[in-house]
Amino acid sequence: MDKKTVSTIAYLSRLSLDEENGEKITKDLENIIKFVNQLEDANTQNIEPLASPLEKTAKTREDKVTAQNRKDIFLERSPKSNDDYFLVPRVVE
Amino acid sequence: MSIQYKTINELSQMLKSRDISNKELIQETFNLIDANLHLNAFITLNKDASLLKAEELDKNLSLQPLSGIPIAQKDLFCTKDLRTTCGSNMLSNFIPPYSATVIENLENAGCVSVGKTNMDEFAMGSSNETSFYGNVQNPWGDKLVPGGSSGGSAAAVAAGIVPAASGTDTGGSIRQPASLCGISGLKPTYGRISRWGMIAFASSLDQAGPMARTAEDCALLLNQMCSHDLKDTTSLDETIPDFTENLDKPIKGLKIGLVKEFDLSQLDKEVVKVFEESKKQYETLGAEFIEISLPNISLSVPTYYVVAPAECSSNLSRFDGVKFGKRCDDPKDLEELYIKTRSEGFGDEVKRRILIGSYVLSAGFYDAYYKKAQQVRRLIKNDFDDAFKKVDVIMSPTTRGAAFEEGSKGDDPIQMYLEDLFTIPANLAGLPALSIPNGMVDGKPIGLQLIGNFLEENKLLRAAHNFQLSTDWHKKTPKRDIQS
Amino acid sequence: MSWETVIGLEIHVQLSTDSKLFSGGSTSFGAEPNTHVDLIDLGLPGVLPVANRGAFYKAIRFGLATNAEINLTSTFDRKNYFYPDLPKGYQITQMALPVIGKGSIKIEVDGEEKVINITRAHLEEDAGKSIHDLFEGETGVDLNRAGTPLLEIVSEPEISNAKEAVAYFKAIRQIVTFLDICDGNMAQGSMRCDVNVSLKKTGDDKLGTRAEIKNINSFKFIEKAINYEIGRQARILESGESVVQETRLYDSVKNETRSMRSKEEANDYRYFPCPDLLPVVISDDELNEIKNNLPELPNEKEKRYIEESNLDISEAKIIASSKTMANMFEEACAKTDDSKLIANWLVGDISALLNKDNIDLEESKLTSNNFAVLIERISDKTISGKIAKSVLEEIWESGGSVDEIIESKGLVQIQDESLIEEIALKIINGNPSQVEAYKDGKDKLFGFFVGQVMKETQGKANPQSVNEILKKLLS
Repeated sequence: MDKKTVSTIAYLSRLSLDEENGEKITKDLENIIKFVNQLEDANTQNIEPLASPLEKTAKTREDKVTAQNRKDIFLERSPKSNDDYFLVPRVVE
Repeated sequence: MSIQYKTINELSQMLKSRDISNKELIQETFNLIDANLHLNAFITLNKDASLLKAEELDKNLSLQPLSGIPIAQKDLFCTKDLRTTCGSNMLSNFIPPYSATVIENLENAGCVSVGKTNMDEFAMGSSNETSFYGNVQNPWGDKLVPGGSSGGSAAAVAAGIVPAASGTDTGGSIRQPASLCGISGLKPTYGRISRWGMIAFASSLDQAGPMARTAEDCALLLNQMCSHDLKDTTSLDETIPDFTENLDKPIKGLKIGLVKEFDLSQLDKEVVKVFEESKKQYETLGAEFIEISLPNISLSVPTYYVVAPAECSSNLSRFDGVKFGKRCDDPKDLEELYIKTRSEGFGDEVKRRILIGSYVLSAGFYDAYYKKAQQVRRLIKNDFDDAFKKVDVIMSPTTRGAAFEEGSKGDDPIQMYLEDLFTIPANLAGLPALSIPNGMVDGKPIGLQLIGNFLEENKLLRAAHNFQLSTDWHKKTPKRDIQS
Repeated sequence: MSWETVIGLEIHVQLSTDSKLFSGGSTSFGAEPNTHVDLIDLGLPGVLPVANRGAFYKAIRFGLATNAEINLTSTFDRKNYFYPDLPKGYQITQMALPVIGKGSIKIEVDGEEKVINITRAHLEEDAGKSIHDLFEGETGVDLNRAGTPLLEIVSEPEISNAKEAVAYFKAIRQIVTFLDICDGNMAQGSMRCDVNVSLKKTGDDKLGTRAEIKNINSFKFIEKAINYEIGRQARILESGESVVQETRLYDSVKNETRSMRSKEEANDYRYFPCPDLLPVVISDDELNEIKNNLPELPNEKEKRYIEESNLDISEAKIIASSKTMANMFEEACAKTDDSKLIANWLVGDISALLNKDNIDLEESKLTSNNFAVLIERISDKTISGKIAKSVLEEIWESGGSVDEIIESKGLVQIQDESLIEEIALKIINGNPSQVEAYKDGKDKLFGFFVGQVMKETQGKANPQSVNEILKKLLS
């Protein structure tokens, strides 16, 4: 697995890999991918992927407002907020 | 009167006959917790609320099925206003504003949630060595792992601190620690127990389940844990039977499948010996053994290690330092907020799985890995469907061996992954499976796994209960009774 | 070098359901920040989505109105990326199997009709809002909007210029408002659009590289953004360079598009089926119910107005083209049985006011109720047509109620014929030379007398009565 791939994947996952653990994790990833490559051998022609072990369809909800206003608890228990908003460092678009 | 190592039925009886009051029972439980702090089985205790509930139960004697029973809850279930960490630094300060359905079900049945148990971080691990809150000790020996990810729950039950604990099982996280700790644990059919409030690891594999001293106790707990929950659309809308019904009905004629592809010769001689003894035991009970083939079973572990990381990489994206959980100090911009918070908040195993997950889902690799794995998953499920046309249950050892030493699996994650060889297939197919103690190897307990067909927990529990009626592995305890 | 423009539009329509796509949180606009956030909208650990059946019904209405394939079984996927107003770090959308497949819609540009094909329309959840300019060095996140159902409508790249793009956008807006699936309120962001623009050499089969201009929410800006972008791409291609495939933002102040290039050249969304949501199935019975209860579309209303209300084609067309105006027309007709009068006002005075202020009817202060009452008061002769004009102008400027304005300004028409006769006599007696001139044959002077009576009564005299009485007295 080349460095670029690993750093792209790390960025997509918003994880940093420093010098120290970067090498170990890259090696781990390589080994794991090698391990799962066994799947190549399976004959899966015309086999439908199984997304869920349940052979059923979804129950849905009626279009009704059922939620309560929990703004205070949500903001209070958040890492950073003021009276009205969750706060993050200024985003520049 | 000592409460240590008592079963649910025994404690219920003691409470009914007033041999002990609810308050005394809960107080004793906390004494046991204190006497066993070295196990590091708990992350957060719920003492005040528990004592309060016990006092209320003493005042209004209730007829609830599990009234007054102390239970340890895996710290993966959200408990309202009680810290829930998932074994992670990321949630070290997370106080949920709601409780998981399964927690509510158990508490409504009268259980007293005495605390949140330690676990592998975000349920990723098979030894409880990845928790931010330190390793859990196996009560059977110092420096031995209890298994994972429900290591704390297993240890709490194995040490006789509580008769019952909730666990979760995604690739074996109830059964494997049950095996290594010498207790009984069951993963029901996917969808039996609501996942509302269960912090998600791999959504199509996760299931909650009971961990207790006996199969019968597991059945008692299962009765209360199961429900059809409209808040979880993957929750089954099937009738919930009384899982304790007909448990002692004899199992003469029960057809037990032995998987041809599980090459037991690879295992330790002692482990095979224990397994063979159990087979003989089942034969005396009237069961019949039939060889079955699950041709794709050897691909279970690689399949799992594509599907589970893929789902978890997405499920864990919500941990970003914005709305709940930890945030890094003074991020200078949004990028740093995300990257630093997540890199500091997650341990190495979690990071590994997130990276694998992102990789197998990424453009160019999706078909070769994720789609392929889901196709193999269907092959594995089809194999089981075929097998269950010939047999009632499938039997195997739960684990490759007994509890191993901390740190002994070395640096290679794959060594740890292979621990779940026997347990993973049931999760991929969504089938119910349990583990019960069936012997000792080098003075350490080991477990027997039974896998059942969709919705057939009754068959499993009956087979397990019958075994426990005629053997006493499940009665063994790590130490002599210690007065708390 | 002649270039052909190829444009495709992705329009995000906020469905007017009461609750969100996957939770019971309210979707109503304008609430205090973070007060319409359910546990599920916040993305708390352990929460699970449950699909809102009403959203499917609204999507299916769109499918029926555009003759589209309707997938009674559809599935959901996750689109993974990080942004502060995306609480779960992924958006639940429909990639693989959307509820609505291929359809089409007619547009009209400069009198010519063209059919634009629609590739698909799928359901997905909206994100919250990031507020950048309120706090020093920080961005505020409001999750009220998070989870609101969107219908993303994707057109085939068959639009050839900015005018067609605007016509297409308007046509979609008309359909969704008439179907009652979206309020069409552009200012509130009920409809947003991403525009894909590319150029190719005339006659070339191969499409050029496209740029995507994101999040435009006004007709004017769509036109300007596209024209700027065409110019920009043409300049690049003329100089022999290649257009970069990227996302751009339209800056309405500078009238230009700007690259939004982020670190990830191609943002890999890692789509995969959402394991928490099983496939949703709509039954044939439900489909039939929706079919049978489909709201009237503009062309159906047009026809009905012509046949039943005796409007002429151009009146019917104008009134039927806007849901708000159609409603206004129908509500007024329900109160006053004079469709021609009502049509005149809508097509005449009101349309003129809309043009003058360059707004849509729903943005005006005139309510359906007010209009209906105004017509009633004209019809029952409480006020004259001329006075009504001034009442309308008053309401247009400052809102208010018709009856209150009539009362406070004392605008009630003078119907009392004896009073009018009294005033008329006064005018006649006071202007003997004009009376003579009139009687001599200067017919035009009649207007003078009318004017004087009106002046004397501050315009409140019933004009018909004035005419009749003066005629009588001057004969």
